[in-house]
Amino acid sequence: MDRRDFLATGAVSTAGMLFFPGNLLAKEAKTNNKHKLVQTLPYKMDGEWKEFELYIDVHTHEPAPGYKYHTLAFNDMIPGPEIRVNAGDKVRVKFINKTDLNHTIHWHGVYVPWRMDGVPFVTQLPVMPKNEFIYEFVAEPEGTHFYHCHWGTLMHMQAGMFGSLIVENPNDPIKKKFPYEREYTLVYSSHDTNYIREEMNSMLERMKQRSYLMKEGRFNSEQWAVFDNKEQFTASLENGYQPPYVTNRRSNSDLPQANWFTVNGKSYPSTPYLFIKSGENIRIRLINAGAETHHLHLHGHDFWMVADDGVPLEHPFKRNTVPLTPGKTYDIIVEGKNRGIWTFHDHDTRKVTNNGLYPGGNLLALVYEDLPADELIISKHSGNPMYNPNAGMGDMKGMENKNMGSMNKMMFGEDKLPKIALDE
Amino acid sequence: MKKIIYIAILISGLANAQITPEFEIGAKGVFSGNLNFNSEESNAVTDFSDTQLLMGLSQKLYNNWRAQFVLGLQFPDANSNLGEVFYNNIFMKLEDQTNIFKVGRTLAQTNLNEFPTLRDDDAQQFVYALNPFSDGVNTERDQYANVLDYTHIFKQRFSVSIHGENFYDSLEPNDFRLNSMGLSLVYRVPESQRWNRNIVQQIGLSYNNYFTDRPGYSNDFDSSVKNLLFSTILNLKPDPINFVDFKFQAIQNFGWDEITELNDYFDYTRTQSTSLFGTFRYLKQKLERPHYQISVGGGYKSLDNLSTDSNQLLFIANGFYRMGQNFDIGFQYRYTENDGFTQNLFGKNEHRLQLAIVYSFSQIFNKQFGDREDLLNLEHNYIK
Repeated sequence: MDRRDFLATGAVSTAGMLFFPGNLLAKEAKTNNKHKLVQTLPYKMDGEWKEFELYIDVHTHEPAPGYKYHTLAFNDMIPGPEIRVNAGDKVRVKFINKTDLNHTIHWHGVYVPWRMDGVPFVTQLPVMPKNEFIYEFVAEPEGTHFYHCHWGTLMHMQAGMFGSLIVENPNDPIKKKFPYEREYTLVYSSHDTNYIREEMNSMLERMKQRSYLMKEGRFNSEQWAVFDNKEQFTASLENGYQPPYVTNRRSNSDLPQANWFTVNGKSYPSTPYLFIKSGENIRIRLINAGAETHHLHLHGHDFWMVADDGVPLEHPFKRNTVPLTPGKTYDIIVEGKNRGIWTFHDHDTRKVTNNGLYPGGNLLALVYEDLPADELIISKHSGNPMYNPNAGMGDMKGMENKNMGSMNKMMFGEDKLPKIALDE
Repeated sequence: MKKIIYIAILISGLANAQITPEFEIGAKGVFSGNLNFNSEESNAVTDFSDTQLLMGLSQKLYNNWRAQFVLGLQFPDANSNLGEVFYNNIFMKLEDQTNIFKVGRTLAQTNLNEFPTLRDDDAQQFVYALNPFSDGVNTERDQYANVLDYTHIFKQRFSVSIHGENFYDSLEPNDFRLNSMGLSLVYRVPESQRWNRNIVQQIGLSYNNYFTDRPGYSNDFDSSVKNLLFSTILNLKPDPINFVDFKFQAIQNFGWDEITELNDYFDYTRTQSTSLFGTFRYLKQKLERPHYQISVGGGYKSLDNLSTDSNQLLFIANGFYRMGQNFDIGFQYRYTENDGFTQNLFGKNEHRLQLAIVYSFSQIFNKQFGDREDLLNLEHNYIK
C-alpha cells in the first residue's frame, strides 16, 4: 500500500463517523450532516398534552476527532434534543435524573408558571439523584428559545446540559416575509473541559458522601450550605461554617477559561454545514447557551435579522456580523445570492480554536448545493499563477505545468478545495 | 559534549510550541518542640526535620501514555550525615491505565502503609523492612532507594509490582549496582472511594530480597537477607463524619542464623526479627472538612535468634486539630522500650513529648487530564 492508498482508506473509514470537507457537493455530505444538526425529540399525546421525556446522564463527548471528555448531557447528546411545539400547545416534560448529582431544567424565554421555572431553592427543590420531576407549561411565546440545567449553572451549562426549544407559529410573520423551506438551529457554547472534569469529580465525591448521610438522616443545612433564613445562616457561621467566599472552598477556586468552542456540540472540523441553493432563503436560529459572546460573521453575504430572543422583528434589518451574547437567541434569514462555499464563524478568533490551536472551534461553512464541482479545482480557478497558469503569469507556464504542478500536489494533496486545515 | 548540546538545541528548537505541563507542588512543614525523658537525644526548641517540598511535572505522551518528572527535597535530622538537604525524590514515571514504570530515587516498597504519626520515621524500626546495607546513622537510607519499578494494575484495585533497588551502602557508597529485588501484591481501594468501603480498604504482601555478602555463602539467594511484609488497612467505621480505621503491618525478617548478638546496626537489620505495628485512628469531619484526629498505636519487635532476649516495644499516641485550611496543631507522645541487645544499640527506655504545628499542601496547577483514580475514570470509562 503506498501513501496515497493509505490516505484514501483513512478518508473512507473516517467518513463513516463524520464527514469532512473533501466533497461537500456529494450526496453523502448532506446525509452525514444530519448527525451534526440538532435532533428533534419525539413526543406522545396524552389528551391535550404533548409529552416529552428528557434525562440527564454522564456522557463521554467528542467535540472533534481525537479528543474526548466526560461531561453531562440531556439524552446522551450535546446539545440535548430539540423540543419543537406550536404556540399554545400544552407541554409536559418528564425529567429523569440518572446521575449522582442534582439538576433542574430552566425554560429560557418561555412564559412557564413560576413553579416550573427550574431555579433551585427559589421555584423548586433540586431534582435529586435518581429522582424525577414533571414540568408542565403552555408553550408561549412563539420563537427560538432554549432549556438548560439551572443547578450549579456555571458548570452544568458549559458541561453541555442545554437544548433548543422552538415554539412555532402556524402564521409565522417571518415565513410570510421571507418564504423558506429549510431551517437550521445552531446552539453555541464554550467549555473549559479541565474545569468540567475537576468540578464533576469533586461534585460526585461530595454527593456520594451526602447521599450516604441523607439515607441515614444525618444531613443538615450546614453541610448543604442551604439555609431557611438569615438567623440559621448566621448561627452556622458561629458554629464554624465558612462560606466559600471566605476560605475552604468546595468548588474550584479558578473561574473557567473556555478552551473548546462548539456549535451543536461540535468544534471545527466536525461542525455542521449549512446547505443552501441559489435563490433559496434559509432560516438560521442562533442560540448562545454558553458563557462567552460570539461575534458571528458570514462571508460574502448580508443576512436579515428577523427575530431577537424569539420575538419577530417588525422591521427586519441587514447585518453581516452579529454579537450573540450569553443567553441570547437571534433568528436570521440568509438569501442564496452569492454561489460558493462561505465561512460563517466567530470573528473573535480566539474562539476559532481547539484547546488554543487555530483553526478549530466556532467555524463552519455555508455551502451552495448548486456550485459546479469545476469551481472547486485549484488549478483552474486559483488567483495564484503558481497553481493556475491562466492567472496571468504566462512566462511561468512551462514550469508550473510540470514541476510546480507536481510539487503542489505533493504539498496540498488533491487539486481541489476545500481542505481540512488544522494548524495554520 | 558539543554534540550533545547541539542535539539538545535542535530538539528544543523543534519543540518550540510546547504545551505547559501539569505542575504539581506538594509541601509539608513539620515544626515541633521536643521534650525527651531518659533519652540520649537532647531536647529541641524547634525541630523541623521531615519538612519537605515536592514538585512534579506531567505531560501526555504520544500513544496515550503519560510521564511525570518528580523532584523532591527533605530536611533531614541534624545528625543524619546527609547534609542540610536530602533529595529524597528524583524520579521519572511513565504510566497508562494499567501500567506504571518508575525509575530514580523514591520511597522503596519496604513499607506498604502510611501510619498516622507526626513524622514518617517515628516508628521506623517497626514499619520498614530495614536496609541491611545502612549503618543506621539516618532513617532516610532505609526509606528511600534508587529504584527500578514496574507495576501492573488489574481491575483498578489489584496491583503487582516487580522492583529492583540500589539501597545506599554505607560501606561502599559509590556502588550503584542493583542490591535488592522484590515483588509486591496489593489490593487497594482507590483514594476517592476509601471513605465508604466496608472493612477492607487495603491489603498487601511484599517480598524483599537484599543481595548481601553473607560469609560462607556463594549463592546469591542463600547469602541474601529476605523479608516478607504483610500490610492492611481496615475501615472499622466508614463514615464521612466519624471515620475510624485500623492500620496494621507485620514484617518477618528471615535474617542470618549466625547473628546471635548485636554489635552494630548491620547486625540489627540482618538478624532474624518479627515486627508488628498497628494504629487505631479516629477522624472527625465537620462541614465536609477535617476537624480533628486522634490516634493510638503500638508496636512490638522480637529478635528471636539473639543469645539474649532482645525485644522492642513502642507506644505512640497523637492528636491533631485543624486550625485552618492545611494548618494543623498537634501533640504526640511516644514511649520506646529496648531490651537486651537493642538497649545497647538504641539506648534505654525513652519518653518523648512533642508539640507541633504542621502545614501540608498539595495542588496541581494547569490540570490537563484526569487521574487514573478519578471517579469519572473509575466509574464512567477511562479517558486516555
